[in-house]
Amino acid sequence: MNIQHNEKLRDLLSAAYVVGTLRGGARRRFETYMQNSALIQREVGEWQDRLHPMAEFAGAVQPPTRLWNAIEKRIKGSASPWSFWISLHNDLAFWRGLGLVSTTAACLLVAFLMTRAPDTTAPSATSYVAMLADDKAQPVIVITGDASKHQLVAKLVSHPSVEAGKSLELWAVPAKGNPRSLGLVSADGTVTLPLPEFATPQSAPLLAVTLEPKGGSPNPNGPTGPILFKGAWVQI
Amino acid sequence: MSADNPQQLKTWLAAVAKKDSQSFRLLYDAASPKLFGFVLRILIKRELAEEVLQEAFVSIWNNAASYQPHLAAPMTWMTTIVRNKAFDMLRKVNDTVEIDNDSFDKEVMDALESQDPTPIESLQLTDDAKALARCFSRLEGLHRQAIALAFYHDLSHSEVAEQLKQPLGTIKTWIRRGLERLKLCLTKLEGA
Repeated sequence: MNIQHNEKLRDLLSAAYVVGTLRGGARRRFETYMQNSALIQREVGEWQDRLHPMAEFAGAVQPPTRLWNAIEKRIKGSASPWSFWISLHNDLAFWRGLGLVSTTAACLLVAFLMTRAPDTTAPSATSYVAMLADDKAQPVIVITGDASKHQLVAKLVSHPSVEAGKSLELWAVPAKGNPRSLGLVSADGTVTLPLPEFATPQSAPLLAVTLEPKGGSPNPNGPTGPILFKGAWVQI
Repeated sequence: MSADNPQQLKTWLAAVAKKDSQSFRLLYDAASPKLFGFVLRILIKRELAEEVLQEAFVSIWNNAASYQPHLAAPMTWMTTIVRNKAFDMLRKVNDTVEIDNDSFDKEVMDALESQDPTPIESLQLTDDAKALARCFSRLEGLHRQAIALAFYHDLSHSEVAEQLKQPLGTIKTWIRRGLERLKLCLTKLEGA
């Protein structure tokens, strides 16, 4: 029996599979066919989309709070510490808001740099700035980028305490995809780092510093530690 | 947020695949009441329903990366997981669940037949479920029940025949024709 070329039979079996009346050996055979056929997988998916809304006919019932607590306990170990970014990526309002505040932030940052860092000469070429703040909105690090020199400078304006054996790592966070490392930041003083092409405010509108093991994140795809400081990366 | 926004559910599922617990919470809040209502109807006993829903959501958390958005809607995918786990439980407890034939879809069908638009709204069905309910209402009551019994209670053709006190051949025909009609009706509604 070749169901691959028999449209009517395929449809019949897909429907019976989804509703549940396809049983025993016939069901197992159908499952084997399905595993090897994108066509059957699609047709089963279509029948599921048609019939599964029947589940709603039962009426919604709010599950008790203890149910979520039990689930949360069981998934805790595998949750990503990087959860914050992923949810940020999904938060369109945040990205829209970022565009609106950028201009204001840039003005404030220039004023801030003029007063706090008199040795910084006024930038002439394309320049970027970010002020990374902690969770209490206290400024901790000022980052300035010089596109023509392909360089960025991270200057600490307060002195965060960093545990011994840990490093601070700076990340460019794109609107889509994983954050990319820009290098390590010293816990006091100033550090000059290369400014790669992927780290312009257009492609990475946010910078962040995480707490990582000595020498930086062991994960090539992103950070492993908590976010300590973050801020919008804007062109001035 | 409601379960009636497949795009939103897809976004959350994609984040859950990356182990984002905040999106998982949002997904749970949106989908769990419908899924809990479903599993309660299958298993009747509350503690069994809670156990199954817990297993199902842990499974959703662990397997979100295998969800294929081009094959089925997010709610469909989650319903499949819940239904499979509920049927596993049915077999495990090997208990005869009291099947309440009459009230199964009575509420939905009454609401559909009512002239007043409020009842169908009060059921808070998603658009997909409303469309299905409309097509369901065009089937004969017994055909409808035969399909619903199989879908909700994991009954074979012969078990459905026993429940509805009809010959096996009749049940097979009812279910097959009923499904064909549902497909035709839903395709028409989609085109409308």
